[in-house]
Amino acid sequence: MEAIYEYAWLIPVLPLAGAMILGLGLISFGKATSQLRSPSSIFIVSLCGAAMVLSFALFWSQYQGHEPYTRMVEWASAGDFHLSMGYTIDHLTALMLVIVTTVAFLVMIYTDGYMAHDPGYVRFYAYLSLFSSSMLGLVVSPNLVQVYIFWELVGMCSYLLIGFWYDRKAAADACQKAFVTNRVGDFGLLLGMLGLYWATRSFEFDVIGDRLQQLIESGALSGAMAALFAVLVFLGPVAKSAQVPLHVWLPDAMEGPTPISALIHAATMVAAGVFLIARMFPVFEDIPTAMSIIAWTGTVTAFIGATIAITQNDIKKGLAYSTMSQLGYMVMGMGVGGYTAGMFHLMTHAYFKAMLFLCSGSVIHGMEGVVGHDPAYAQDMRMMGGLRKFMPITAITFLIGTLAISGIPPFAGFWSKDEIIGLVYEANPMMWLVAWITAGITAFYMFRMYFSTFEGRFRGADTSVRNQIKLEQLQEMGLSMGPGAMNPHELTMEAESDHAKGDHNTHGHHYSTSPHESPISMTLPLILLAVPSILVGLVGTPFANYFEAFIHPPGEVFDMTEAAAHFDLSEFLLMAGSSVGISLIGITLAVMMYLRKTIDPAAIAARIPALYQLSKNKWYFDDIYYNVFVLGSRRLARQVLEVDYKVVDGVVNLAGLVTLLTGEVLKYFENGRAQFYALIVFAAVLGLVIFSGIT
Amino acid sequence: MSTNFPWLTTITLLPLVASLLIPVLPDKYGKTVRWYSLAVGLIDFALIVYAFWYHYDFQNPDFQLVETYAWLPQLGLNWTLAVDGISMPLVLLASLVTTLSMLAGWQVTYKPRLFYFLMLAMYSAQIGVFCAQDILLFFLMWELELVPVYILISIWGGPKRLYAATKFILYTAIGSIFILVAALAMAFYGGNVTFDMRELGMKDYSLTFELLVYAALIIAYGVKLPIFPLHTWLPDAHGEASAPVSMILAGVLLKMGGYAIIRMNVEMLTDAHFYFAPVLAILGVVNIVYGALVSFAQRNLKRRMAYSSVSHMGFVLLGIASYTELGLSGAVLQMISHGLIAAALFYLSGVTYERTHTLMLDKMGGLGRSMPTVFALFTIASMASLALPGMSGFVGELAVFIGFATSDSYTSAFKLVVVLLSAVGLILTPMYLLSMLREMFYGKENTEFRGVPLLDARPREVFVTACLLIPIIGIGLYPKLFTQTYDVKTVQVASHARMAVSTVAQQPLQLFSEVSQAPALNSVTSGEFLGIVK
Repeated sequence: MEAIYEYAWLIPVLPLAGAMILGLGLISFGKATSQLRSPSSIFIVSLCGAAMVLSFALFWSQYQGHEPYTRMVEWASAGDFHLSMGYTIDHLTALMLVIVTTVAFLVMIYTDGYMAHDPGYVRFYAYLSLFSSSMLGLVVSPNLVQVYIFWELVGMCSYLLIGFWYDRKAAADACQKAFVTNRVGDFGLLLGMLGLYWATRSFEFDVIGDRLQQLIESGALSGAMAALFAVLVFLGPVAKSAQVPLHVWLPDAMEGPTPISALIHAATMVAAGVFLIARMFPVFEDIPTAMSIIAWTGTVTAFIGATIAITQNDIKKGLAYSTMSQLGYMVMGMGVGGYTAGMFHLMTHAYFKAMLFLCSGSVIHGMEGVVGHDPAYAQDMRMMGGLRKFMPITAITFLIGTLAISGIPPFAGFWSKDEIIGLVYEANPMMWLVAWITAGITAFYMFRMYFSTFEGRFRGADTSVRNQIKLEQLQEMGLSMGPGAMNPHELTMEAESDHAKGDHNTHGHHYSTSPHESPISMTLPLILLAVPSILVGLVGTPFANYFEAFIHPPGEVFDMTEAAAHFDLSEFLLMAGSSVGISLIGITLAVMMYLRKTIDPAAIAARIPALYQLSKNKWYFDDIYYNVFVLGSRRLARQVLEVDYKVVDGVVNLAGLVTLLTGEVLKYFENGRAQFYALIVFAAVLGLVIFSGIT
Repeated sequence: MSTNFPWLTTITLLPLVASLLIPVLPDKYGKTVRWYSLAVGLIDFALIVYAFWYHYDFQNPDFQLVETYAWLPQLGLNWTLAVDGISMPLVLLASLVTTLSMLAGWQVTYKPRLFYFLMLAMYSAQIGVFCAQDILLFFLMWELELVPVYILISIWGGPKRLYAATKFILYTAIGSIFILVAALAMAFYGGNVTFDMRELGMKDYSLTFELLVYAALIIAYGVKLPIFPLHTWLPDAHGEASAPVSMILAGVLLKMGGYAIIRMNVEMLTDAHFYFAPVLAILGVVNIVYGALVSFAQRNLKRRMAYSSVSHMGFVLLGIASYTELGLSGAVLQMISHGLIAAALFYLSGVTYERTHTLMLDKMGGLGRSMPTVFALFTIASMASLALPGMSGFVGELAVFIGFATSDSYTSAFKLVVVLLSAVGLILTPMYLLSMLREMFYGKENTEFRGVPLLDARPREVFVTACLLIPIIGIGLYPKLFTQTYDVKTVQVASHARMAVSTVAQQPLQLFSEVSQAPALNSVTSGEFLGIVK
């Protein structure tokens, strides 16, 4: 068994090697490498498969009770400062390794179908592999610096992948936004890390926790400072896990290809924040201020995410806000001390949300055959409807995911979400109320999404919907439609004909009238992901919590039979009943509004315009940030430039000019005999040397 | 490990001697000259690697490969060359970057003889600056390197080249006067007159004298590094110079300033450094934030990168001011790393300019489709510049950050403010670099390029960039491999500087009478100096 631990470093290194080989090939022999489609994808997928097999072996060994294993190499040193890097395999790592490799493996298979016609197919696999490597490096990190390193690397991969279709303006803006927003979080993480190192002289998670506790007890470090450092570190997860107020990048990140949204922006990278909170748990748990900030951040995020998701028409944006909301649940769980619950929800969410995103990709793939390769049409749910008839596998798996996320037993999401909500109830009833209402909203918007996509009548050929979408798009681009402006309809028609022309130029094939089910390479991962989405929750039931027996906070002892003995059925039924109840209310509302059409959603929206606009405009976060930060930083930079140009440069130049004029050397420049001047300077200096040497 | 062969003299003089042959080379089409110069550069690089590998002891903090010859005995001027842990990596950097820049200037068709003659002369001067251990010789080498740069900018530069070149020469020449005055003052101080830098370092100057000399030197080196507000020559010079010259300007010349500050201000004027270090730290922060903001506002590609250099060199200042082994090690690493990264970025912008014939970001756009390889290389270099882990810039900046945060010489409040503000640079750096990439490569192709054939990178161009990127990634993946070659020296300098702290504080200067208590090393009871220095 030791051998697999000694070779565990292969898990991140194998995908890295794959990415390097493809990357070098693309840079050196771009055209030739791009042609090698299936060899590249088979190569990358098999490397990831090998990493997955190793991960399962490690997981099994850990489950059997193997000791945690750590191996370190000294990485940097200066004087008596030493910094080691390496890998550590414990329960948490083993679990994360399995989650990441399985999702990555399935997403890579799916990619073959989804990206089949894309010219950047090979490049996409190289990026995917690079990302897998960075993410796996992150989860095996034994100390905070290594986490920071891979934290930034996954951020870079996310940047590259969001901007994968680099000729789309929206993608270009989104990838920069994602990177910069994440840098704000990394800024906090770095400062927190430095602060903790300054206080404790260590980057090891448990050592930091112990020493920090001692320092606070002995009074050498004030509790406020410790809380400040903890909150700064938490700023990292706030950005990476899309928590309010740094969540704005995640919805925009949907500009990337859908497999990426599933892998990075739903299952793995965004969950890295939760993973870091789990790793830093020994530090956080003793600082109550930090814990309550974490818990409230999660709560607010869960609520805001859910409320925005209600009004989204873009299927991927809707799922993105739902991801944000679910991440809020995980962070909330962590914040109230539910280490196990948070990680449990991370695991179940990784599977069902990856599946939901892949389903949406399958839907988009099908829609593109009807409406063309324009994300504005292919992703808009108003143009979908009735797809269950055309793509049954996608519809069934999407329904399973919807049931799982809505918290309907026995699907996976029920068990994990219920555990979090139960813990929150014990910690703070106010917080519980928000979490409980959010659960209802979640069920509502997910079923709204399911019904408008898969049930009812297919609206893909509906020109009025199409025009409506185009109009909204133009409005978003800032074209005013007020009186005096040109006829909006004219614009629409113009844009549309443009669009049609563009499509003919690039694709030039005829669109079918009905969408089709996706190829097997895309539906197979969906079916495989449906299995854990249904069943994985059963490992963590409150009466037999195998999950908690495996994953629990370091330093705590968990006895499953004892916990099962404490299990109170009536209490469980009450808590579970109330959360299932509100979910059912949400589902019923969705049925009435989007399936039976007995209630008109537009009428409700018209009755509460303020709230509707708040949700529709994403609580105005983007507008405020754009005006304050984006424009503000540009203005500041321009002002500093003015100062630099006029004041700093001016003053120094003036001083220089005075010297010049008095020396009358200016004429040499006018004659263009500048070299001559240089020689004079040189000779003068030499003369000065000799002169000063003699005297 | 002594040797009788004069390695350093050979290395320093080879390019200069070789350059003298260029006028007589038979060369009709300007093609022999470039092969000849490249060969000289490569031979010199090989000699340097060989000499350091076999005759340099990485575990020895003292000067090695020392050579002393009396040059002008009447003046007391000696030809003294030696290297130690601080100069050795910089000699390697200078040689690598200069050789690559000659390969980068492959397509210079206007006066190739003069171009390569100057490049080789500059090659010698740079290595001379880093090796000279006689302060007059150092000064001569410093001046010798200015003239070729001046001519290279004023002949092969952009439209405003004369203005830029003049500004460059004026700034640096005025700075040089300060060096000369300071050098002479130090040499004649006390009883014995000497120009030897080691002996100068051992002289016992009065504190007031040290402070004056320190101030003079920091102005001179502050122009070179550059330190705010003496930086305004740099965007003009970098912006107007052709790509090979910008590579050397950003890659090597700025490092001469950092090198000289460590060599003279920290090593020789240790007592004054105690008083100036907080100022250096503050200037470092100003450099980082100010440089990044101005860079963000620039619309010209090369000027944007020039200001990014200003920003990155701020970390060198912070590291020098940190009084820790780690900080100083980080400062040296940051110099090397920035030398490689800036050279790569300037080279790539030259490659782009050759195709687009514009440096204005507004006129570019959508280049990624026709130039995917340039796009990829540009992205890698920008990522290195924004301190992405796995590349050298990250290691340098992280070392500076940790070094400064753990410094015992400052109060917690001062450290907090400095680290906080310089970390703001971490947010600003991706803003200007990524928006640069976005405006150049992303989006739809700019209509101005319709009909212009935009060729992707040629093998030579990929090769030059790869030669710079490989060490960047190598250092980033395993920094210890590189830092251990100079670690003993930075440890020595840092501990020497801290030793001085205790002695300085015992003889307080009248100016700062508040300083009452000796700030002992890593003690908790130390008094505070102006609320900044502990």
